[in-house]
Amino acid sequence: MFSNHVTKDLSGYCQGELSAEASRAVAEHLIACRRCRSEYEEIKLGVKLAGHLPLVVAPDDLWSQLEAKLENQTIRPKSDRPRSRFVGRIFRPVPIAIAATLLVAFGMTALWIYRQESRPSWEVARLLGAPMIGSSRIGQTGQLGVGQWLETDSASRAKISVASIGQVEIDPNTRVRLIETRATEHRLELARGRMSAHIWAPPRLFFVDTPSGVAADLGCAYTLEVDDAGASLLRVTAGWVAMQLRDRESMVPAGAACATRPGIGPGTPYFEDASEAFRAALTKLDFEPGASNPSGDSSLKQVIEESRVRDTLTLWHLLYRVNPDDRVLVFERLAALAPPPNGVTREGVLQLDEGMLRLWKGELDNIWTGDSALRKGWINAWTRTVGKIKGLEGKR
Amino acid sequence: MEPRAVMAEPIIDERVIKACQKGDREAFRLLFETYRDRVYSIAVYSFAGDQTAAADVTQQVFLKLLTTISQFRGDSQFTTWLYRLVANACIDEQRKRKRFLPFGDATPVNRIEDRKPQERHYAKVELADSVKLAIAELKPHFRLPILLKYMEELSYEEIADVLGCSKGTVASRLNRGHKELARRLSHLRDQVVLGD
Repeated sequence: MFSNHVTKDLSGYCQGELSAEASRAVAEHLIACRRCRSEYEEIKLGVKLAGHLPLVVAPDDLWSQLEAKLENQTIRPKSDRPRSRFVGRIFRPVPIAIAATLLVAFGMTALWIYRQESRPSWEVARLLGAPMIGSSRIGQTGQLGVGQWLETDSASRAKISVASIGQVEIDPNTRVRLIETRATEHRLELARGRMSAHIWAPPRLFFVDTPSGVAADLGCAYTLEVDDAGASLLRVTAGWVAMQLRDRESMVPAGAACATRPGIGPGTPYFEDASEAFRAALTKLDFEPGASNPSGDSSLKQVIEESRVRDTLTLWHLLYRVNPDDRVLVFERLAALAPPPNGVTREGVLQLDEGMLRLWKGELDNIWTGDSALRKGWINAWTRTVGKIKGLEGKR
Repeated sequence: MEPRAVMAEPIIDERVIKACQKGDREAFRLLFETYRDRVYSIAVYSFAGDQTAAADVTQQVFLKLLTTISQFRGDSQFTTWLYRLVANACIDEQRKRKRFLPFGDATPVNRIEDRKPQERHYAKVELADSVKLAIAELKPHFRLPILLKYMEELSYEEIADVLGCSKGTVASRLNRGHKELARRLSHLRDQVVLGD
């Protein structure tokens, strides 16, 4: 199907050795080519592993050993002329120490300036008002460097070009920082406010850190907002996003949302068209454990009673999050709404058998995404195949 | 690691090299102190953690540097010239030796997320040890580009210059090296991802 595979360029792609154009071509090919994507994952792992090689400090006595050998070595000067006055003067112990100190100071300053100028950055376009990068207002455009903050006031908006993989719009009263940008990972921090992202790169290349979770793009469009308390709300408009904190992860498809809280992480994802009672009970269940509704029913019971077929998204995630007794209730409701496929048993699910849960989720995906067969095939290729390569699909 | 690397370049300028060419011992000492750890690191990884062999090769490199620095004309970067000496010294020494010594017992590493927080530091140390071992087991023509890339942070073009091959060959060898590392250490995949 593909005659121009990109395997030979993959190390260069991972290490930023390709031109922007070549890099974009590789990224586009990776989206479509399963074989190269698999190879890319392998090479990316190799790159990460090699990055753990530490510098080894040489033994302290190496110079004395070398000096002993030097004594026996004839040093042949380039010229037989006697050492110049300048060299003789500059290499005396005290001047050399001063010179070395000055050179180090000069070098560090030069390096700092060089890094300031050459570090990777993203282009920012002003949409409204006067967005600031650091303490400077930007004109029509500006550059957001690694480590720099972009901030909008109540009358400002801005648009960031995320390398060559997408765009992020920054709403008023928002504060974001560029954490990292390289071929294998692009990362923003959203400290407060609201942003909308449209990403067309392979999954798990673009991340947004918030005070209570990390949004990992799986090829999608979404909005993310963070309030002053650090709580966030993710709303997905296309594709999938994984919201995670430590070992807690919520897979959120288009049309669904996921709230997060500091210290807790992502709540259970839900479809935004679920009933108000369902959403209120879920919030209590996620973030106020032990709380009961005014009627005296448990939040879980109300979630179960209010759930529709589409809300199997929430129920499937709850299987992992409730205690074994409550898991029975969740399973029964889930099975009533969407019977498990062949090979998935009650006992296996109650024991959180990963294979069975994945199989069931594969069936449920059709309900959650509501796609036509053709589009479903594409989305399956995107979210399942790529997600599986990344170890994402159904990952807990 | 990084502070040494960033301080190295500004210190060794043309004046220091010219002083070395005239036989100035203090200038040579300055040059030695600047590059000793980086040269030693390449050697120690090339000889499977054998510190004696690494120290020998490091000394050989600096002795060779001292005797041949008068031939350095500044046509290429000094670092390129130095790492060419290092690469040649490692290859020569490996030809003399028919066997590699292991870094020590490569014990299986548990998944990092299964460990208690206080154990994670040790897991990272074990991870670095596993990578060292796997690097040592690579064929020299895959290992050297990796060491030059990760120890010295050279570009593909600079590596090609040091090794006397094309940039495409460097890319190809790094591809093979990375894949080989991933294959040998695939059991550490989760650990690497979680450790990021």
